Amino acid sequence: MALSFYSAYHLTFYFFFLSISSFFLSLYFFLSLFLFLSFSLSISFFLSFYFFLSLFLFLSFSLSISFFLSFYFFLNCYNIICLLQLNSSLSGSGEEIGVVVRSCHDDLTTGQPLSPSKLPKSPLKTRTKRVRTTSSSSTSDRVVQTATRTLYTAGRPPWYDSQGQLKEAFVIGLCGGSASGKTTVARKIIEALAVPWVSVLSMDSFYKVLSYEESIKAAHNEYNFDHPDAFDFDLLYETLKRLKEGKMVDVPIYNFTTHKREIQKKTLYGANVVVFEGILAFANKKILDLLDMKVFVDTDSDERLARRLRRDITERGRDLHGILKMYSKFVKPAFDYYIAPTMSYADIIVPHGGENSVAINLIVLHVHKQLQKRGFKLRSKLALMSLSGQPMPNTLHVLEMTPQIQGLHTLIRNTSTPRNEFIFYSKRLMRMLFEFAMSLLPFKTVNIDTPQNIMYEGKRLDTKKICGVSILRAGETMESALGEVCKNVVIGKILIQTNFNTGEPELHYQRLPRDIRDCHVLLMDATVATGAAAMMAIRVLLDHDVPEENITLLSLLVAVSGVHSVAYAFPKVKIVTTAVDKEVNDQFHILPGLGNFGDRYFGTSSSAMVAA
Amino acid sequence: MEPDVIQIAPYVAKEEDFGPQLITLKSTNNVKELQTYLRDKTTSRSDFIFYADRLIRLVVEEGLNLLPYQKCKVTTPTGHEYQGLKYEKGNCGVSIIRSGEAMEQGLQNCCGPIRIGKILIQSDADTHEARVLYSNFPPEFSSRKVLLMYPIMSTGNTVTKAMNVLKNHEVKEKNVILLNLFCTPRAVKSLISSFPGISIVTTEVHPVAPNHFGQKYFGTE
Repeated sequence: MALSFYSAYHLTFYFFFLSISSFFLSLYFFLSLFLFLSFSLSISFFLSFYFFLSLFLFLSFSLSISFFLSFYFFLNCYNIICLLQLNSSLSGSGEEIGVVVRSCHDDLTTGQPLSPSKLPKSPLKTRTKRVRTTSSSSTSDRVVQTATRTLYTAGRPPWYDSQGQLKEAFVIGLCGGSASGKTTVARKIIEALAVPWVSVLSMDSFYKVLSYEESIKAAHNEYNFDHPDAFDFDLLYETLKRLKEGKMVDVPIYNFTTHKREIQKKTLYGANVVVFEGILAFANKKILDLLDMKVFVDTDSDERLARRLRRDITERGRDLHGILKMYSKFVKPAFDYYIAPTMSYADIIVPHGGENSVAINLIVLHVHKQLQKRGFKLRSKLALMSLSGQPMPNTLHVLEMTPQIQGLHTLIRNTSTPRNEFIFYSKRLMRMLFEFAMSLLPFKTVNIDTPQNIMYEGKRLDTKKICGVSILRAGETMESALGEVCKNVVIGKILIQTNFNTGEPELHYQRLPRDIRDCHVLLMDATVATGAAAMMAIRVLLDHDVPEENITLLSLLVAVSGVHSVAYAFPKVKIVTTAVDKEVNDQFHILPGLGNFGDRYFGTSSSAMVAA
Repeated sequence: MEPDVIQIAPYVAKEEDFGPQLITLKSTNNVKELQTYLRDKTTSRSDFIFYADRLIRLVVEEGLNLLPYQKCKVTTPTGHEYQGLKYEKGNCGVSIIRSGEAMEQGLQNCCGPIRIGKILIQSDADTHEARVLYSNFPPEFSSRKVLLMYPIMSTGNTVTKAMNVLKNHEVKEKNVILLNLFCTPRAVKSLISSFPGISIVTTEVHPVAPNHFGQKYFGTE
């Protein structure tokens, strides 16, 4: 069917061209005849010349047409022959071939690239997992993958109140016998909670470091890992307490082959929800007090043994005999003596482990309610908080408004300043800002010797180390100015972005130097409007144990409301700026302000922001 | 409305003895630290250049405050008006070779393509008398504001000589701003008494000036 259509389509073309060519040929004959006649009759020399010229033109034109036609005809004949051959060789599949030919034809004519059938995967999903030594769960990674979405530590909403004080994290304790499916329950809870910032702490990390004799016993399956004495409860308590306070912790990584802690540690950041799981999670009274919700996962002992066998053989490389010996000698008695009795502390007992969706829904509902009680709109509250007429806090240091500084401000604020000038002059202003900020750091008096052989009383910086931390993206622009003022300065970065749905700032990324707690931190952001992002960054620094008085917030332009909220929340943090503007509009832009600094500096458009 | 032209910014007088012509940089801890590094015998050369450039930048920024400007209004990207000011064009820098050249980069980092003239003055080995060996100035020199750069003044002889050269080129005394890092009271006094119209911006007036500046900065110790 398709073939006949195809060939008919082409044949009409041939006949059309054939008729045209025959028309031209006949015209040619007619003209040559006319010319011959006119010549022979010699009507006039001029006329004959004219006809000769026209004849020549017609001749060349019709020749080229006929050449082209013959070529085209030959080509298509060849095609048709090929098609007929194909058709005869594949009897009964003529339709298919026609379709194939046509579809190729279509693709060639449209010339559009085929759209990829799969979208590119996000880099987070494809990254390799860390080598793990303990539990089979994947939840203690900071990236949690579920069927529908990837939950990760990005986009953390404020975990402190408008005074910058920490809200306590909601801690869920999960207890249950070995291989009872605690990690499955934990994952299901996190999945159903859909809270992006969750930390999972496993009790496996807190096994005590074994002595030589003990590790030999462990190798012969004679060390009791299920006894409360095997755990370092003091360290566990400290760690969990800090996590509950929303602070950063270093969690040890326990190596089950050497029975020692690895030198490197895993860093967990404070979260809104902390899930703590372990076989003896309820065994210690102090730890019980930290738990906001206690869940016991109750699974049949046969099922647990079966799971344990499977896990230990495939994942930990142990032999059947050893596992059974350990089970009867330690695991089973420990469950009966230490684990099962703690069931009485539980708020909820979940039978059948992770399969129990009713129980998990109940837990999630409760946690959501609790979180709602604690959370609130932070940024809008900050904007409202600015009360006009309040005196500016004494932690605010504004660069003296000399004519030069005002001139620079004029250039930077002017909307028609070209981008290269904007960059040049904002860098100058930043340099002045940093020189000013440096003078606010602690100094000591020193006496030095000079080449002129006199003693000179001078000053030296009285801090061990200075560290810059920039709030991406606009804060990054200030890094080069910092480098011009501090030699070899260490720079950390924090990415905070505004969620356009909620208007709240969210923490997406942080990379800070290890020894930041000993540093004087210069926190950089180009503008501070409500202070929400700056407060979040300060909170991150405090969670990394930087003393509040060692933090200086540097900004080119701040709004009154931002100053008040930052100074109110963190009265010891120095705020250093070049100008203070009065107002903030409902899009949290400073007025009169300078627009979106990052967009103007990097030359990116702010149309997306306007649309949002 | 014609914007009013303000000829000169109000001065910040620190040293009452020397009058309004002398502007000393506010002696913050930061400035003091920079001075300490420059005076210290043990400072390495790379540190010396780094801290000298920082101090020079501060002096240049302070000196630029003395240039004439006009008030103006601009519109910010939020659509609001900002009361600002705009600097006049027609300034130039003049550095006294060699140590004055150390300050050229600082000036260019602030003003971009500003024109820079040069004067070479050397003191005679026998008579200690300063002599002008070379000078080259930008066009329309006499009508420009001149930022004269010379970092260290002990006696003030060299700058006095340079001022005479400028005056020969019909530059008015009040159009000259001297950018200086360290000077002695003696140099300030002699300079102000000879040229009452001049403005001097410095960071420190101290009886002993760090005379090793040029040698250490250019590494010819």
